[in-house]
This record gives sequence, structure tokens and C-alpha cells, in this order.
Amino acid sequence: MRIAIDTGGTFTDCVFLRNGRLEILKLPSMRENPARAVAQALEAILGRPGGSGRLELTCGTTVGTNALLERRGGRVSLVTTSGFEDVIEIGRQDRPRLYDFFVTRPEPLVPRDRRFGLAERVDSAGNVLEAPGEEELDRVASEVASSRPEAVALCLLFSFANPAHERELARRLRARGFAVSVSHEILAEFREYERTATIVANAYLTPAVGSYLDEIGKSVARRRGARVRVMQSNGGIASAELAGREPVRTVLSGPAGGVLGAKSVAALAGFERIITFDMGGTSTDVSLIDGDLRTTAESHVAGMPVAVPMLEIHTVGAGGGSIARFDDAGALRVGPESAGADPGPICYGRGERPTVTDAHLILGRLAPEGLLGGGFPLDEARARHYMDRARGPVGSVEEFAWGILAVVNTTMEKAIRVISIERGHDPRDYTLVAFGGAGGLHACQLAAALGIPRVLVPKFPGGLSALGILAADVVKDFSRTVRMEIPSRSAVRGPLARAFAGIEARGWRAMKAEGFARNRVRIERLLDLRYVGQGYELSVPAAGDFLASFHRTHERRYGYADPSWRVELVNVRSRFIGRTPGLPVRPRREVRRDAASVSIGRRASVFPSRGRPRSLTTTLYDRARLVPGHRLAGPAVIFEYSATTVIPPGWEARMDRYENLILEPVRG
Amino acid sequence: MKPDPIRLEIFKNLFHSVAEEMGAALRRSAFSPNIKERRDYSCAVFNSAGDVLAMGDHMPVHLGSMPMSVAAAIRELDLGPGDVALLNDPYCGGTHLPDFTMVMPVHLGKGSPMFYVANRAHHADVGGSQPGSMGLARQIYQEGIRIPPVKIFTGGRIVRDVLSLIVSNVRTPREREGDLAAQVAACRTGGRRLEEIVAKYGRGEVNRYQAHLLDYSERMMRSALRNIPPGTWRGEDVLDDDGLGAGPLPIRVAIRIRDDRAEVDFRGTAPQCEGSINAVYAITYSAVFYVFRCLIHDQVPATSGLMRPIRVLAPEGTLVNALPPAAVAGGNVETSQRIVDSLLRALAQALPDQVPAASQGSMNNLTLGGADPGRRGAIFAYYETIAGGMGARPGLDGLSGIHTHMTNSLNTPVEVLEHDVPVRVRRYSLRRGSGGDGRWRGGDGIVREIELLARTQIGILSDRRERGPYGLAGGQDGAVGRNELLLNGETRSLPAKCSLEAPAGAVLRILTPGGGGWGKKESG
Repeated sequence: MRIAIDTGGTFTDCVFLRNGRLEILKLPSMRENPARAVAQALEAILGRPGGSGRLELTCGTTVGTNALLERRGGRVSLVTTSGFEDVIEIGRQDRPRLYDFFVTRPEPLVPRDRRFGLAERVDSAGNVLEAPGEEELDRVASEVASSRPEAVALCLLFSFANPAHERELARRLRARGFAVSVSHEILAEFREYERTATIVANAYLTPAVGSYLDEIGKSVARRRGARVRVMQSNGGIASAELAGREPVRTVLSGPAGGVLGAKSVAALAGFERIITFDMGGTSTDVSLIDGDLRTTAESHVAGMPVAVPMLEIHTVGAGGGSIARFDDAGALRVGPESAGADPGPICYGRGERPTVTDAHLILGRLAPEGLLGGGFPLDEARARHYMDRARGPVGSVEEFAWGILAVVNTTMEKAIRVISIERGHDPRDYTLVAFGGAGGLHACQLAAALGIPRVLVPKFPGGLSALGILAADVVKDFSRTVRMEIPSRSAVRGPLARAFAGIEARGWRAMKAEGFARNRVRIERLLDLRYVGQGYELSVPAAGDFLASFHRTHERRYGYADPSWRVELVNVRSRFIGRTPGLPVRPRREVRRDAASVSIGRRASVFPSRGRPRSLTTTLYDRARLVPGHRLAGPAVIFEYSATTVIPPGWEARMDRYENLILEPVRG
Repeated sequence: MKPDPIRLEIFKNLFHSVAEEMGAALRRSAFSPNIKERRDYSCAVFNSAGDVLAMGDHMPVHLGSMPMSVAAAIRELDLGPGDVALLNDPYCGGTHLPDFTMVMPVHLGKGSPMFYVANRAHHADVGGSQPGSMGLARQIYQEGIRIPPVKIFTGGRIVRDVLSLIVSNVRTPREREGDLAAQVAACRTGGRRLEEIVAKYGRGEVNRYQAHLLDYSERMMRSALRNIPPGTWRGEDVLDDDGLGAGPLPIRVAIRIRDDRAEVDFRGTAPQCEGSINAVYAITYSAVFYVFRCLIHDQVPATSGLMRPIRVLAPEGTLVNALPPAAVAGGNVETSQRIVDSLLRALAQALPDQVPAASQGSMNNLTLGGADPGRRGAIFAYYETIAGGMGARPGLDGLSGIHTHMTNSLNTPVEVLEHDVPVRVRRYSLRRGSGGDGRWRGGDGIVREIELLARTQIGILSDRRERGPYGLAGGQDGAVGRNELLLNGETRSLPAKCSLEAPAGAVLRILTPGGGGWGKKESG
């Protein structure tokens, strides 16, 4: 039996297959002990008949992310090359904000007195310049031990070129019973600050993620042969054992599930190229999928670099709870300050400062009886009262509300531009997949602003992450920095083959441990290339004419390329993909018909018309009453349990055979 | 007509995103570590009059000075569609020679340009007597190639003659060519974006709102100025020396606040000097811009409007408004910092709870150059700046090992540096205890030790080697910096500003200053 469980801030969503059918279960999350909610979900699901066969449980978790954000990780000690103990504190020597005398930066996760230097040195080619003697290794191991760490991070200069010294010391520390995060094992790539920060974060997360996984292990212990996997930030799943050892790979576990869910439902609906748009209460995640998932090694989490591959997800601090205000010189600002859950938007009953959610309510875009199917009433009169007081020079509450949405939309638009146009992708070739509580409220307006021709609002927009986790493949990334110039493809054939063989031996072992036979594994090989002298690299597939594809990619992304310039290799990457069985979702029959007969009413809602708000009669629908083939024209609003979709005038919606809503501008 | 607060916010975001997109294009496609790894560049959008409408959050020292590049390009050249101007002349729109600025008109229809986009990037070598073009000099002619505003592109085609003239005068021509290509790519990115914005909102609306945006920033600044007690606030600080024996060199400022206006008067500052630490007016203007911008406690676009209520008086022929042929390489990086220190000392009297103690006050510029025996004698030229201690703030310790005020460039990772340049970094750590003591402690400086693996020409431009960064409200000064050369078992102290050649095996050790402390330390 396959079960996917995604732990979110409010709900723990479960998607599972019973008798070949998809089912969904929603439970409240337990912030202090997320594993308990998972255990309860398992009890509820497994307690009922029909769940047979070997249990395969996959979890999306925020344990790692929260431990980093709230700095509730373990006590870590760090060993570096002697003389470089402060690299973790100096960082890249820049400050996060320029024009602020009171700027701060996150304290390093390891304080000065738990950072130790090992007298050793390797050069950039991997030659040993100074080998640490037995005595030195013992001295450092003892000092580390007496600092009483819960986990140890080990990161020596140029260990990607020669890991011998890291190995020696790791062996000694492990023999003393310490959990050791070793840089060449987790991230054998150059740039010492980013690597050190990543390894330290890994060690920092080991205790919290470890105990979470232990507890889940206990809840499935009764099921023989049960397999527990965890969603990683790279868009693939991996065994709980690996996630426990390398928890830094899970820090974007939740959002990655959402992206994967969007990808799978869009693929079923026939759309390969999508932009995902997940708008929640305090922040919004966007990402772009051009057929394949795109990862980056340049992410930051909680102000610190995390350089293991993660899905390229761009987050902006704007959501339904973002607060609107006028600044000293009279511009309307929205966010990044958020009303959060407490006090929340005005209409929730306690907040007094206008938010994006209040604006939607004023404009008649939220269900009159409130959110969550009426279980959460909204106070419109209250919202109107406080917004009237806060509207400044703006003519009416409606105009103010519309202005809040216009401003917050520019933030969203900017976020989508970053992941599309700035990377050389034209949004006109993409479908916007909108989810999260507020995604469907903004999607059409955003699509119109960016020329995106279509919006897809999936079935269960609230449970999409869990669905994505259920559909995820096992993915493991291996890489190594190998720097050399490439005079021609044939000249590097030998070295490339050796480099890949080196990292892939580990890959095969890891896939075997995940239970995959060789013939069920696919490998994607990438080369990080750049022109000689450049400081950043582009990843291109290693197969075929990789030089030509490098020049092409460079041209597309940066507007110029020159095949006569010399090219150098920086990193080799292998991605191992073990396919899991796809989702057994069967399409329903789609019969074209007008949805008017199932509308649940009409009311006045406000839409922009030539830059000004205008009240229009709007048809209201309950998504539960729509069936495949239903069509409806804007202006309309479709309500469902945990989300709302707005169809502006000039747009139409249809429900496809997988029960997704497809929204497009009316042709002609 | 009053602007619509909503549209205003939208246009603010739009213009800013153009500058950010240009920066992303430049960073990702540039060649030299200096631009890519260190991010020593800036991008900005200008209206037809050459006023800044938006600037990416890049290098503060470029902030106020970019408009002068655009003004010079407009004045000297007739820029048509497809033309791109290039310049670096500090006496004609530039700051110091390594900063190459490109200016591209964005026409959008017939007639004169509706916008200009520009970017500036610090090139690792622009010729002159020393590799890295940042060493000691007596005249600008020794500092590298000097480029008045010229067209590097005309009608969309590169002007080969100009390009080859430039790359023939520098040590690492291919890298220069690659970086210039990236700068052009960034300009075009900006041009395309502006075109889209005008297509969407219409010329009239865009024009109205660019003007509103300037007024808006002006109101922001006026509102910040009203919070400063009226009066004349004086400050003074000194540069150690000019590297040629003259010093200390005082920078004096009087800030006169009246209602919502400020006059910043540098009369009394030392005359321009023989060494290369003269600042041209653009730099002084930038430093003033930076300090007053920091007094606005809100996100605000860095437009020219911010400076409308502020008048800068910098007498010609002084350290803060040098005339040709004074050498200026260090004006941008060292003198700019001291100008900030003088301004803050003045403002600390007016706003004691809003102004930090002095930060390290130097960028510790280090240039290395020579022939790399490991690469068949290939020429290398490398430039870096080293962070130091931040001054303590009322209520907060200063940060350690961080760039402050007029720069925010990143370090070059050791694992990149040693791969590219024949050196070995032996130590890169915080300089414990170098921050000034006080109720709030100044941040610590850095110790950086670099072993040379080849015979190398070294250039150092640094300051705060004589007097430590000042503490405030009873806090102690930060420790002074030190430059040392370790050779054959001996440690030799090096001057704050020097050029020398050292053999393989020598170790250069730079200790950067700590930040000043704030407030008296409570006893017990």
C-alpha cells in the first residue's frame, strides 16, 4: 500500500491508494511533534480494511526547514583546515542590506569555541602539501569530543580534489560514536564557504530530523518490510536512512512536493511546460518546469547558502496575509510584513490592518459564508470599517482593495519574471498551474499580465503536495568538481568517463540500497561548463555534442556566445532516477455542457475595467457540483473547500476529464 | 496632477526590476571573478534627462556617480538607436579607471531617447604601470587607459577599432573582451524591458510616472531630513597619508540642516595630493547620497530625486573634488570611506541614537600580477578587497569580517583563487579583539595571509594604519590595520600604500582594522 503524507503548517495531508483508487485524508498538524500526526494518520488509514500489501510510506516534512528557521537544531562542532575556522562566520564578506546602519546577519550555526582547525593542506590539484600526522588527528578528535557535540561537521579545503584527510578524521570521529557530516561525501564541489555552510547545516539538522524519522520508524515497525522514504528538495524521494544522514537535502521538502504535484497533474492534462504558482498566507513559491525538473545549487534558506541541488523554487514574501500601508511619501505598499495567523486579516476578527485577503473579501471574491466550507466565517463589515479608515487618499474602499491586489500582483509578476524571462524562457509558452489557498484568486490576472495563455487549477489544490510526493521518483544526485579545459570533445572522453565512473559507483550502491534493480534506473549526466575565465557555469547534458549545447544555452540565457572561445569543465553531475509506479488516475468522460444550470447564485463582484474597479454581476459556483465538460464564462467565482478561483470577464473555464479547471481568455 | 498611490508603487517595482534584471544578466555572463564572484558592478535606469529612476542594490559607491556618466555620454556623443557609449575617464563621468561604464540610449520611437540604461563594472586590469591598475601613482596617466565617452557600438555593430585599442592596452585582453560583452548584454536586457513597459502602459503614462517617482523619492528624503535637528553639524576625520609621504589629510564637513533641506559643505578639506587617493566630485556626491539614504528607514528607490533637497559643496582642487591630472585610483575605494566617516561624525551629534561608530574605513585593496610559471608564463592580474570590522551601533555590536558603507563586494573563494592565480592562502580568519571596546563592541577585522608561488608585483592601497576607526559616546577606537611581508624568516612591515615586487615563497599578511566601539563599557 502506498501512502504519501505531507506535513504543512496547519494540516497534515495524506494521499493514498486503496484498492487502486486515490483517497485523501486531512488531519490537523502537530507543530511540536509532527511525527505524532503522521502516526495518527497511519492509524486512521491502516485501521480500515483494504490497505494491504507492503507499506510504502513517503513523507514530506518541514522538520528540517523549521529547525533552520527557528534555529532549533543540534549542537554542532566544526573542523576545518587550520587557519580557516572563521570562513563560516565571514561568509562572502558582504552584508545582506546595503543602506542600513543596523543591518544584522544570521549568527553562524557553530559558535567560535566549537570550531577546530586541523593542520593539513591540499592544493587545488589535489596534491598533499601537508599531511596531518597521527598525533594531530588524535588531538583534533579529542578536542572535538570534549566540546560535547551532538553532531560534527567536517570540511577541509579542496577535499573535492583529494578527500584523504577528511576520510582519516571522519573515521576517527565515527569510531568515537559521533554522527559526522563530511563535505566530500555530501557535496564534493568547490567554493569553501557555500560547502562549509551546507555541511554545517546538515550536521545541525541531524538530531531533529533523525528523531522525527525514528519516531516514524516506530509507527511502521509492526508492518513487515515497510519502507519509509522522504521527499527531498531536489524533487525526488530517498530512503529515510539517507534522509537521516543527509537531512540538508530535505529543507525544501514541502514546496518540492507541490511542484511535483503540479507537474504530474499538468502532465496528465497534457501540459509539459508549466509555471507553478503556490500562493499561501505569508509567502508565494513559483517555479518553472520545462519538461524536466530544474534544480539549482545556489539556494539560500534562512539567510544561509544550501548548495546541494534543490528544485529552482523562487519565494517572495507576499501572500494572503500581507499587510497594506501607505509610506511616508504616499505610495501604497503591500508586504513583506504579514498579519500571519495572529492577528490575521481584519475579516478573521482580530487584525486591524488591511491585508490581501480583506481586499478579496471587499471585492466579493470570497465565499459569503467564509472559508473551509463555512467552517470559518469572515466578517465583511469589520473589514470594510477598518479598510475605510486605512484607505488614505484613495477614493473608495473598493478602489483601495483593488489597489492592494494590483500592487501585490506586481510582486508576483516580478517573481515569475525572475524564473522565466530572466532565464531565457518566454511565459507565453507556458501554462500557469495555480494552487495554495490564494493561487486561484490571482492566477488569471497574473497570466494576463505576463501573456501566459492558460491557467490550470488542479483538483484538490490543497492536497497537491501529498499527491506530488506519492508520484515522486527516487532521485539521487552525485557530483564532483573536476576543473579542466576542453579543447575538443574527443580529448576529454577518457577523463570524463573516469570522473563519471568515480561518482557513479556510489550511485549504484545507493540505488541498490533503495531496492532498485539496475534496469529500473535511469541516469542523467550533466556537465557544468563555462567559458575559460568565467565565474559561473551552466549545466548541459553530457550526452551528444555538449559543447554545441553549451554555446546554445549561453546564447539563450545571456544573449551572446562565441564558439571560438575556450570552454572549461567545472563539475560533473550524475542524477540517478528510480521510477516509481505512476498514479493510477483514470480520466472521466468529458461531455461539453454549460455550467449555468449548476450555479449556486449571483452577486456583485468588483473587477478592474480600464484601470478602474467596476462592479459586475458575477456567477458563483461550487466546484463540487462541476463535472468534466462543464464550461462557464467570467465574471465568475468558483468556491471549494480550501481554495477559491476567480474567472475575470473575458475569460472562460472548463473542467477537464481529470477534474482540473482550465481557464483561458475567450478567443476572438 | 497627484499620482495614484497604486500606480506609483507599480512603476517603482517595474523600474527597479529592470535594474535588477540587468544586474542578473551582467553577473551571470561576465568573465572576470571580479564581476561574477565579487559582484563589483552596478546597473541603473535613467530618464531622458539623465536622472536615475532605479538602481539595483549593487555598489553604493556607484550610486550617486552613475548619472554623471550618463550626462557625460549625452554631452559628448550623439547617441542613436543601436549605439552604446563606453567611458572610464574620472574627469568625464567616471570614478576611477578600472570602472568601465556603458551607457545605452533606449529610443522607443522617433526623436530623442526616452530612457538610458547604464552599467558600471570594475575591471581587474585596465593597464597602467601596475597589474590590477590600483597601485600608487602620481598622475592619472600612470593608472591605465583613459577612455572618454566613445561609441563602442554604433547602429548595433561593434566598433572593432575602439575595442582593439582598449584591449591592446590591458594585461588580460580576453577577459576584458568577455566582460565588455556581458556589459552590452546587460544594457540590451534593460532596453528590451523598457520597451515592453512602454508598450504595455503607453508613453504618456510611463513618462508621468517616472516624473512622479522622482518627486516621490524627494518627499521621502525631505521627510527624513525633517527628523534631523536643525543646525550646523561639523565632522572631521583624516586619511593616514597619500602613499608618497604627505599626511595626515583631513576631510572636513559642515552639514547645515534647515527644515527639510541639507547643505553639505566640504570647505576646509585638504587640497588634492600627489598620491592616488584623490576623489573626483562624483565620488563625494555618492558618499553623501549613501549616508543620507541610510537615514531613510524604509525601502525606497535609489533615484536622483533623493538628492534634490541636498546640496553638496566640494571646492575644486581638494581631496574631495580633484582636478586633472591627479591620480585617483584610491579615491573611489579609500577616500570615499573617509568621507562617510566624516559625515557620520557630524551626524552623530545631531542623531546620537541613529549613527554607528566608525567602521574599518578602508577597502584594503590588494592587486597581484605577474607571469604564472605553472601556466607557461601566462600573465595574471588579480584584484581583491578585504573586509574588516563594522562600527558598533547604539544597541548592537558591530559585525565582524564584513564590508561596510561604500562597498559590498564579495570575496573570491580560496578554492577559486588558488585555481586561477599562483598563490596559496594560508590564513583567512577574524582578527580577534580588534574591535573597539564599549557598551557595544566594534566588529573584528580580518587576518589574511597569502603566500606567493611566483614572482609577483604587489600593490596595496589601504588606510587606517595610523589612526583606528573612531568610537562614539565613550566607546574605544578599533585597532589599526597592518600590512606585513614575511620573507626568509623575517617579518617586514609594509606601508599603508605601496607597490613592491616579491619573490615566490614570500607571504603577504594583511590585518584589517576593527570597528569602533559605542558607549562606555559598564564596569563590573
